[in-house]
Amino acid sequence: MKKKLVALILSMAMVASLTAGCGGSGSTTESSADTAKEEVTQAESGSDTEQITLTLWSIATESDAFASAYAQAIADYEAEHPNVKIVHETFENESYKTKIKSAIAANELPDIFFTWGGGFSQPFVNAGKILPLEDYYGNYEDLVSRATLANITYDDTIYGCGLACPINGIFYNKKIFDEQGLEIPKTGEELKEVCRKLIDAGITPFGISVKDSWVLAQLHDALTVKSAGPEKTAAAVTKQGQSYNDPDFVASAQFIKDLEEMGAFLDGAAGLSNDEASQQFYGGNVAMYSTGSWMAGSLQTDPENPEDFDYMPVPVLNSANAALTDFTGGPSDTLVASASTQYPDIAGEAVFELAKGISKYAYLSGAAIPSFKVDYDDSEVNSLTRKLVENANNATSFTLWFDTLMEAEDAGEYLALLQELYVGNLTPEEFARAMDEQLSK
Amino acid sequence: MKKFKPGNKIVMGLLILWGLIQIFPIYWMLSFSLKSNAEIFGENVIGLPKEWLWENYQSALTVGNMGLYFMNSVIVTGGTILLTAIIAIMATYALKRMIWRGRGTANSIFMLGLTVPIHAAILPVFVILRNLKMTNSYQALILPYTAFALAMAILICGSFMENIPRELEEAACIDGSSIYGIFFKIILPLMKPALSTISIFTFLQAWNELMFAVIFISDSKYRTLSVGIQTLTGSYTTKWGPIGAALVIATFPTIVLYCFMSRKIQESMVAGAIKG
Amino acid sequence: MEKVMKNKMAIAVFLIPAVVLFTGIIIIPILMSGYYSLLKWDGVTEGTFIGLQNYIELFTSKSAGFTKTLGNAVLLAVLSVCIQLPISLLLALVLGKGVKFEKAFVAVFFIPVIIATVVIGQLWMKIYNPEYGLINVFLRAVGLEDWTRAWLGDQKTALFAVFVPILWQYVGYHMLLMYAGIKSISPELREAAKIDGAKEFQIARYVTIPMLKPVLKVSTIFAVTGSLKAFDLIYVLTNGGPAHASEVPATLMVSMIFGRNRYGFGSTIAICIIFLCFFFSMLIGRIFKTEVE
Repeated sequence: MKKKLVALILSMAMVASLTAGCGGSGSTTESSADTAKEEVTQAESGSDTEQITLTLWSIATESDAFASAYAQAIADYEAEHPNVKIVHETFENESYKTKIKSAIAANELPDIFFTWGGGFSQPFVNAGKILPLEDYYGNYEDLVSRATLANITYDDTIYGCGLACPINGIFYNKKIFDEQGLEIPKTGEELKEVCRKLIDAGITPFGISVKDSWVLAQLHDALTVKSAGPEKTAAAVTKQGQSYNDPDFVASAQFIKDLEEMGAFLDGAAGLSNDEASQQFYGGNVAMYSTGSWMAGSLQTDPENPEDFDYMPVPVLNSANAALTDFTGGPSDTLVASASTQYPDIAGEAVFELAKGISKYAYLSGAAIPSFKVDYDDSEVNSLTRKLVENANNATSFTLWFDTLMEAEDAGEYLALLQELYVGNLTPEEFARAMDEQLSK
Repeated sequence: MKKFKPGNKIVMGLLILWGLIQIFPIYWMLSFSLKSNAEIFGENVIGLPKEWLWENYQSALTVGNMGLYFMNSVIVTGGTILLTAIIAIMATYALKRMIWRGRGTANSIFMLGLTVPIHAAILPVFVILRNLKMTNSYQALILPYTAFALAMAILICGSFMENIPRELEEAACIDGSSIYGIFFKIILPLMKPALSTISIFTFLQAWNELMFAVIFISDSKYRTLSVGIQTLTGSYTTKWGPIGAALVIATFPTIVLYCFMSRKIQESMVAGAIKG
Repeated sequence: MEKVMKNKMAIAVFLIPAVVLFTGIIIIPILMSGYYSLLKWDGVTEGTFIGLQNYIELFTSKSAGFTKTLGNAVLLAVLSVCIQLPISLLLALVLGKGVKFEKAFVAVFFIPVIIATVVIGQLWMKIYNPEYGLINVFLRAVGLEDWTRAWLGDQKTALFAVFVPILWQYVGYHMLLMYAGIKSISPELREAAKIDGAKEFQIARYVTIPMLKPVLKVSTIFAVTGSLKAFDLIYVLTNGGPAHASEVPATLMVSMIFGRNRYGFGSTIAICIIFLCFFFSMLIGRIFKTEVE
């Protein structure tokens, strides 16, 4: 029952985001929300003159693209709330998942922590470990829409706040494309043609990691949406009565298989990590890399010539069902507050405050597409990130990455099946059937 | 000591070759700690760095905070070794030399410790530690590490203890010594070689351990080295140069220490052999 | 003497610290794991009791592939005992009888054991890399281009590719154990044998190795249980992939518990690993005991 509600909300949100979008356009008027916020802050800090410490856990380690965004957001918050100190502990991504699950099980949670929306946090909400934030949302309604928070909304209640609004796409090496006289592909067939030309010229078309199967999933999720359309895809993946054993879904699996057989993917991808594979892209050895918009951040620092790189949305496989403006992605990185925090009011509000700050600073540094409305000067942002924001603003839909959208069990099986598809243990038809089996459990 | 004549050079050659293979990781670690990601991942995997990025070390020490984590690892590992050695020798003596019913079963139960995959115990141990309010401290790691090291330590002690002739204990008995006297004056001194061996193997288990250290400790002031190195990995991209620097900082003292200890180990082992 | 050895108070004093720690950290968690293995539980919400269903699923489900992982672990154990241990023994014997720079060699051979798994993992990932890795570069250089593979990415080679670093890293570990054992054998025995006219090989076979039995027993137990529990390097190199090709029980367990929130099922795997290790330890102990007698 709960799952159906969540899924329903998600699909409605998908349609709603037709108008909402993420990031918003640069509006400089201060909303009444700000003045209302002032009053609340006054009231709270007025009554608590004692020093309060909130603990915050996140994955923004020192070398992470979001690290400085967090630091600045925290500094802003502490400046506005002199009686609150935030102690920020950071952890590595993969082990964080283990850590947070153990902490939840053993009831050893900090006041505020980072998590992923969709199916990942569902069990935590079900177990009552996360603080509902409806009461604190009022002040931020104008800055971040309900639609943006859809992935962290369960049972019609908001439980957290998204930090950014990443979208998936294909980053490509402009220089190679120009040298080979290639045009940006808009359909699946055009993409295959581009790959053929690249292969003939002795250039590997796609860098990809199958060992870190989420990278393969990035491409596959996008192709699936571009084949079956966002509503149908979401319905199947969130178990709402749409079977996965369907020609539209087989089509995207088949497309991946075709590319693989063509030799469009980096050799040995099944044994390469995301780091290793993306290095090939930065080094100009492969022409394209499909992943989330966060790569724009690394593209500013890692390659020798950042200007060689550009972005395109994933081409459409079936124009009857989907358009170029149907994206995968959407806010998943989220801050939440623990239900057992000693200071629910302060923590609850801090979640939104910090998220707002992180969204702003991450955007300004080019690492992310903001989830909050942009009501500040953003002329410094680099052109690649701008392009991404533009795409996000004009999106007609967002479908969250499958491995976050699904329940953990299904997500794990999905990633495993993807690997099997890639290495040839499963045909695309078998893949679709296996997915259907798993999702029907 | 006789050495074979003709085969000598060949043997030496093979030994040196194997030695080079074993040292390669160190050289590699050193060289990549000074490189940029581009070199590490493709351009120049094994050669000496084209650009010597000494700032990787600075990065590791300041932003990476490796100094603190190193100290924490030293404290945790040192504590574990000490505790394990004491508890294991005592327990082994009771298991192997003293007489009581059920000691065979008890021995088997301790051997169970060898069988438990550490990751299975994470949640139960975490819950226990939490109930004892011991999370986020050195004890949170020292106690579990000791427990897991006990099985092997007891096994090693057992092997060494078998080599101690019972006559010595009998002689002490006849001289009117109490059990504690026998233990402290006869057994302990003869267990020195075992101590070195236990130290090394317990050290290995504790120094590089990751999972428990990540989960049981959240406060970065208690964080250990392995976790510290891990957090240098960003969520989507990683600069491997500073990680290499951190690893060098982590491993070099260990190797140096080991080189010193190995002399001592061999000395105490030879000494043990002569006495026995 | 017997009376002294039966001193109950002393026995207690000597044993209690070990017993307390052990029970708390090892026994209780094993029991808890056993209980969890009977549940369908995600680690966070309420679990439901499902009896032995997890066990049944473990051995019959194709998608879990547990029996395959068992096979992989046993294979690793066999390779450890048949390849790794003999190499360690050979090195220990050669060094033990006295060579120049003996101490230096011992120290150097042990070094990979001290190095963090992350380093060994990353190093071997670079060695195996299909484009610029040492192995393929070498093969191309000597004209054996056809033999090049994506070692870690190819289902057929992944398992063995993963085993090599594991075996390689711990040769020094076992070698040190054996070397210590050899050094503690009284030199008079060797001299006596030599006076009797024995050659090196015979000394090794009839004097050294028999005296090493306790050490060999320990080494074998470690090698086998270590193989059954193997996790760190495999996790770093392939995470059990591609498509479960290099999956071992421990990696499966971790992915079930922490990746798929199937705490109950993961605990089932844990119990199986524990049981197997225990079983083999007893078996090996028995084998060595009968040989000694």
